[in-house]
Amino acid sequence: MSFVVRGAKNAFRNGLRTASLVIILALSTGLALTMLLAHQAVNAKIASVKGSIGNTINVTPAGSRGFSGGGNPLTQSQVDEIKTLPHVASVSYSLTDQLTTSNSSLTSAITAGSLGQRRRIEAGGGTPPVGGGFAGGGNFTPPVSAIGSNDVNNLAALGGGTAKLTAGKTFDPTVDADVALVGSTLAAKNNLSVGSTFQAYGATFTVSGIFDAGNQFSNNAVVMPLPTIQRLSGQTGEITSATVQVDSIDNVAATVTAIQDKLGTTVADVVSQQDASNQALAPLASISTISLYSLIGAVVAGAVIIFLTMLMIVRERRREIGVFKAIGASNAKIVGQFISEAMVLTLMGTAVGIVAGAIFSNSVVKVLVSSSTSNPVGPGHGFGGGFGRAFGGGVRALANIHTSVGFSLILYGLAGAIIIAVVGSALPAYAIAKIRPAEVMRGE
Amino acid sequence: MLKVTKLTKTFASPAGSVTAVSDISLSVPDGVFATIVGRSGSGKSTLLALLGALDNPTSGSIEVADQDITKLNDRQLIAYRRRRIGFVFQAYNLIPNLSALENVMLSLELDGVGKTERRERATKLLEQVGITEDKHSRRPSRLSGGEQQRVAIARALANRPKLILADEPTGNLDSATGDVIVKLLRDLADSEKTTIIAVTHDAALAKKTQLTFTLQDGKLVKK
Repeated sequence: MSFVVRGAKNAFRNGLRTASLVIILALSTGLALTMLLAHQAVNAKIASVKGSIGNTINVTPAGSRGFSGGGNPLTQSQVDEIKTLPHVASVSYSLTDQLTTSNSSLTSAITAGSLGQRRRIEAGGGTPPVGGGFAGGGNFTPPVSAIGSNDVNNLAALGGGTAKLTAGKTFDPTVDADVALVGSTLAAKNNLSVGSTFQAYGATFTVSGIFDAGNQFSNNAVVMPLPTIQRLSGQTGEITSATVQVDSIDNVAATVTAIQDKLGTTVADVVSQQDASNQALAPLASISTISLYSLIGAVVAGAVIIFLTMLMIVRERRREIGVFKAIGASNAKIVGQFISEAMVLTLMGTAVGIVAGAIFSNSVVKVLVSSSTSNPVGPGHGFGGGFGRAFGGGVRALANIHTSVGFSLILYGLAGAIIIAVVGSALPAYAIAKIRPAEVMRGE
Repeated sequence: MLKVTKLTKTFASPAGSVTAVSDISLSVPDGVFATIVGRSGSGKSTLLALLGALDNPTSGSIEVADQDITKLNDRQLIAYRRRRIGFVFQAYNLIPNLSALENVMLSLELDGVGKTERRERATKLLEQVGITEDKHSRRPSRLSGGEQQRVAIARALANRPKLILADEPTGNLDSATGDVIVKLLRDLADSEKTTIIAVTHDAALAKKTQLTFTLQDGKLVKK
């Protein structure tokens, strides 16, 4: 029987102590693994979120927001300049116009209400009623939004909501054609379905698809190819809104500055959503920090447990060490025996801990995330479902965080446990072994 | 021949230095069963530890087969203890989670003896000291005091040492069992030409040996 085997056998010399130590080490290892997995998963999610939401910049003509304000529209050449800037992943742009009963056959699905009346009056379209109230819609009907975009999958100009194509199909937005996607309430109001036609700008449009954006404003819109609306509305080459996708949220601020420098602040208003994104990521950053400190704490606790346990075991066996030395054992063999014992104990605890950590880490991370992100903020654009991505509205990016135990992680864990076991057992064993045998045996 | 010359061992203590062994000189011929007697605290166990290289003397020399062991480095001392010395302790000091056979094999393993050979030799030694085969696989806790001391003697003999140092070998045994152990040691001295030095405060045991040294306050007062 070698010293290594003898050390391994010694690990089971005291069954109760062995079981207790394995359980304590398993808890420590399991916690460390869970925190490591949480840390990795959360950091991966942060990186993913940084690369997907909050990394958009809205560029609009200076002084203009939607149909409010004024100024001159942006041009295609200005958008092309934005595309050449560093960190710009993509640019989608659109021209937004309004359709009324005078230039289309469409009837708006939205009633004016007091807000519509006020805006009409403020825009010089009427006089306030006696008494200052704005009740009732009168004969005024809010216009229908007409949007032409180079990317029908990214219709930021529609505003909030997540759009889904509920019928029909989309079209190539870069090809000039008299086709349109119609919002669901607008389609219902005008008895439109896929294949139906309506008049706009003097042309006959065919309904290619019906979409549902989940809100009244967006569902009162039509989407058509950009060159079509530019041609028909007499705004060739003009753009009212551009959405710039940046490669990472970390580069948003620099890109905002670069766009402002390129176009000039008197030409374009450049607004990012970085703050909102940072706010959304704050809980995850907090979890990342907590998990990192917990990881360090669990590893240190495991190391201390091993060290103190081996210190206790070594001191308990002082006389035995003396006997080993008396019959001719070298210090190296004595230390090796204790290292072997500590490694068996540590590896057992680590193995149990890894299994426990792998089983429970997902649940723990979900609890951590749900308790820290009860009100997730998710700015972003895109069109979901078959339409592509979501546009407008919040993105629940923080909800789906999953941990996974990789083979390399297990190897690193085992390597760490072995190092802790070797150091934790070698130090006290060597401290006793180097003492003269007579002193060890006398000093019990 | 074991030859001790002007051996002194001084310990530092909070109350000042304490001389446990003071200027002792003695010699023991090969194959002799000798005892060191004296009251508690007379320094006999310290002298035994010095002879077994378990401790370093403050001054003096210990020659075993014309080699001064006080001049050996750590590695040489380990080899000296492994090959030249066999220890028998009052409390037996067997390794508790090893069987009787494994305890005896342990000494042989340290000396690099192959597994088969060490098993054969250990079995033979246990039989030689009177441990029957059915008890070879028992752990020390399942052996009587006398049986444990026999196993300890077998372990001490495993590497065929020329010197066996026994510290109160009968101290934990009843008189009948003690007599058996003493006879066993004496027979070994005769048959194996092994020098045996036993520390004891048992006058009866001392009378049964060929040579007796009496210590008092760390000094050799009688040969």
